Amino acid sequence: MIEVDGLEKAYGDLTAVQGLSFQVRPGEVVGLVGPNGAGKTTTLRCLAGITIPTAGRIRIAGHDLAAEPVAAKQVLAFIPDEPHLFEYLTVEEHLRFVGRLYGVADAPERIPRMLAELELDGKRRALPGELSRGMRQKLAIACGLLHDPAVLLFDEPLTGLDPVSIRRMKATIVARASDGAAVLLSSHLLHLVEEICTRLLVLQRGQAVAFGTMAEIVAARPTLAGRPLEDVFLELIGQEGGGDR
Amino acid sequence: MNGAYAYLVARSLRNRLTRQVARLRSPRYLLALLLGLAYLSLIVGQQHSAPTPPSAETSRWAELLLAVGVMLAVTWAWVIGSERRALAFSPAEVTFLFAGPVPRRELIRFKLLVSQTVVLFNVALWTFLLSRERLGVSAWVRALSLWTLLTTLSLHRLGASFVRTSLLEHGRHGARRRVVSLAIGVGVALTLVWAVADALPELRTSWAVGLRAWLAALGEAADGPIAGVALAPFRLAVRPLVARSGDEWLRAIGPATLLLVAHFVWVLRADAAFEESAAEFAFARARARAGRPQPAPAVSRLRLPTPRLAPTGRPATAIAWKNTVAALRSPRTRLVLTVYTGGALIAGWLATLDDPAPAEALGWLVTMWTGFLLVAGPQWIRNDLRGDLLKLDLLRSYPLRGASLVAAETASSALILTGLQLGLLVIGWLAFLVDPVDLPGLPGRTALLALALVLLPAVNGLGMLLHNGAALLLPGWTHIGTGRPGGVEALGQNMLVLIGFAALLAVVLIPPAGAGAGIYLLLERPLGYYAAVPAAAALLGLAAVEGMVMVRWLGRVLERLDPSTTAAQA
Repeated sequence: MIEVDGLEKAYGDLTAVQGLSFQVRPGEVVGLVGPNGAGKTTTLRCLAGITIPTAGRIRIAGHDLAAEPVAAKQVLAFIPDEPHLFEYLTVEEHLRFVGRLYGVADAPERIPRMLAELELDGKRRALPGELSRGMRQKLAIACGLLHDPAVLLFDEPLTGLDPVSIRRMKATIVARASDGAAVLLSSHLLHLVEEICTRLLVLQRGQAVAFGTMAEIVAARPTLAGRPLEDVFLELIGQEGGGDR
Repeated sequence: MNGAYAYLVARSLRNRLTRQVARLRSPRYLLALLLGLAYLSLIVGQQHSAPTPPSAETSRWAELLLAVGVMLAVTWAWVIGSERRALAFSPAEVTFLFAGPVPRRELIRFKLLVSQTVVLFNVALWTFLLSRERLGVSAWVRALSLWTLLTTLSLHRLGASFVRTSLLEHGRHGARRRVVSLAIGVGVALTLVWAVADALPELRTSWAVGLRAWLAALGEAADGPIAGVALAPFRLAVRPLVARSGDEWLRAIGPATLLLVAHFVWVLRADAAFEESAAEFAFARARARAGRPQPAPAVSRLRLPTPRLAPTGRPATAIAWKNTVAALRSPRTRLVLTVYTGGALIAGWLATLDDPAPAEALGWLVTMWTGFLLVAGPQWIRNDLRGDLLKLDLLRSYPLRGASLVAAETASSALILTGLQLGLLVIGWLAFLVDPVDLPGLPGRTALLALALVLLPAVNGLGMLLHNGAALLLPGWTHIGTGRPGGVEALGQNMLVLIGFAALLAVVLIPPAGAGAGIYLLLERPLGYYAAVPAAAALLGLAAVEGMVMVRWLGRVLERLDPSTTAAQA
């Protein structure tokens, strides 16, 4: 469960996120969409405990992120758009490392399964520099999933993946949600959002301009009925007509 | 030089300076600047201007010492210098310049222009630091001499990096293309070995007589025909710096300038290996800065066993484990292990000789180097937060308190440094098996080695905390990443950091060392040498308290550090 109440993040005079409140329930996949600079990544980084919010409250699986950061981070995983890996650890060692960090007692049993699931078992002794961009991304995802997090934060999770891996990745995200994880996913790929997300959170200039299922969002704006998600998105961010495309 | 390059360099420098000055709005940076200025004034203020210029003898020794120093720096550049660092182009430079309609030589000229910013900064620094010295003709002439020397050395490092890169990238073909450079390098090395072998008997004989006789023999050997040839290029480079009159300087600056021009021509004749390596390195660095992995890093071919990491236990141990694995896989580990193994074998062999002098000399050399590592080691071994701050996003997402992260990160580099020092002390212990008269007996020396085993981790831990603290508190003014600013041209700033750190470490060590010394003196009469045990315990206890206070404070700083700001500053 992700609970966000009045989240605000300012960098000097620039307010990146303002008055943001929403919830992601267990089993839900919420899509975070918005134009460049809307505050999507800042929001995800605040939720992951990477960036300290200027104001507001964040609860991760019942833990207040500000008061209990370790307990909150213990049950969440943040998978950024660019895989952050350690150049001198092999694929398998990355997983062992993460297993120890999160105290995964059965990591030795989980690791082979994880490697097989993400088609990395042939690369277990490879260093990140010896992997393709897509494989590095898969490794970062494997590191995020190893401890079975209750909350998953994805920032552009499909970047660099091939079509087969994209299909597997989508299935993995949906499966994790079905198992009870709360998933928040930021992406510019509207077809991905449309396909796997149960609700949408649309950001514009750091503020939520829409939050709900597609049906709820369209119901609030009858003129959008029957139009594709792309048109809905452009309308919501004030770029209707595609003049800025 | 292409006007666009000059514009790029000038504007980048101006904007960078503006950013640095803007940081002074933060009280933390302002305080650091004021402390830095006070520190520089203290160093200059302590120097006393000599009433007369130095004697010919002083000048001669200064020239010899400087020439040997330059020779060692050049040897370092050839043997273990970082060719990649010397070729550091920014990704933007590669994107705009390498892909542009620009001849390769223009790129090298651009690179040289950029390197001049470091050279000029260090010329200004050295000129300021030596402002009260009478060596040299005047401050301006000294600045010009320094510029000639540092530019030549900067060019030499770049040229050496081209040859090393060419050899690494193209193997035998690279060697063929670099045959002239290699022949000169090998020739100088062989001449030096020949010179040392030629002078060794005389040096050994004079060693038995005393230090004065040994120094005289050393001076004679340096002026001998073989050493004279080997040291000639280095003497030419440093001679303008030690000239005692205008005439002497004019006679010296001509050959030094010729040497500089020869290096310039050499570097300009660099081949495609430069371009490929520069581009590859630049993108690797960009990826690292963006938190992405680098292309396959150079990994030691020596497969060292890595420690096992249990799946459960203190989470922060995983951070220390990661850093240790990285250190074990670094290509330099193989070199260090080879040198240490060789050193131990040589020490053991020397200890069996009838003449104890060589073993004793080796013993003192490694012991002194261990002491030097106390100060220089934390600057060189950066396998801690200084390396990981580029991945601050990742660190911050881990379920760890800031203090745990700081402790684990600094502990790993402190342990690596301690290992290096203990290895040296073991070599010294082996060499001292000849039982020097002015040292305690074997049990005493063994006890001292055991004491070092206990005390060194504490001292190194505090040292690493100081360096990591600087990186956390002043990321905009600290070099972030595992590499460090290198090259002789950056020697001035590195030296200042070294001296400043030594002073800071001394201040931090005063309370625990004072307590330890006090307890030893108090208990020496009843307990004898055993008083060292409670004294060491008191020292360790106080050092641990200091360390914990620093870890907690830096942990809070780390928790408040904004990754986006840090990435931009780095």
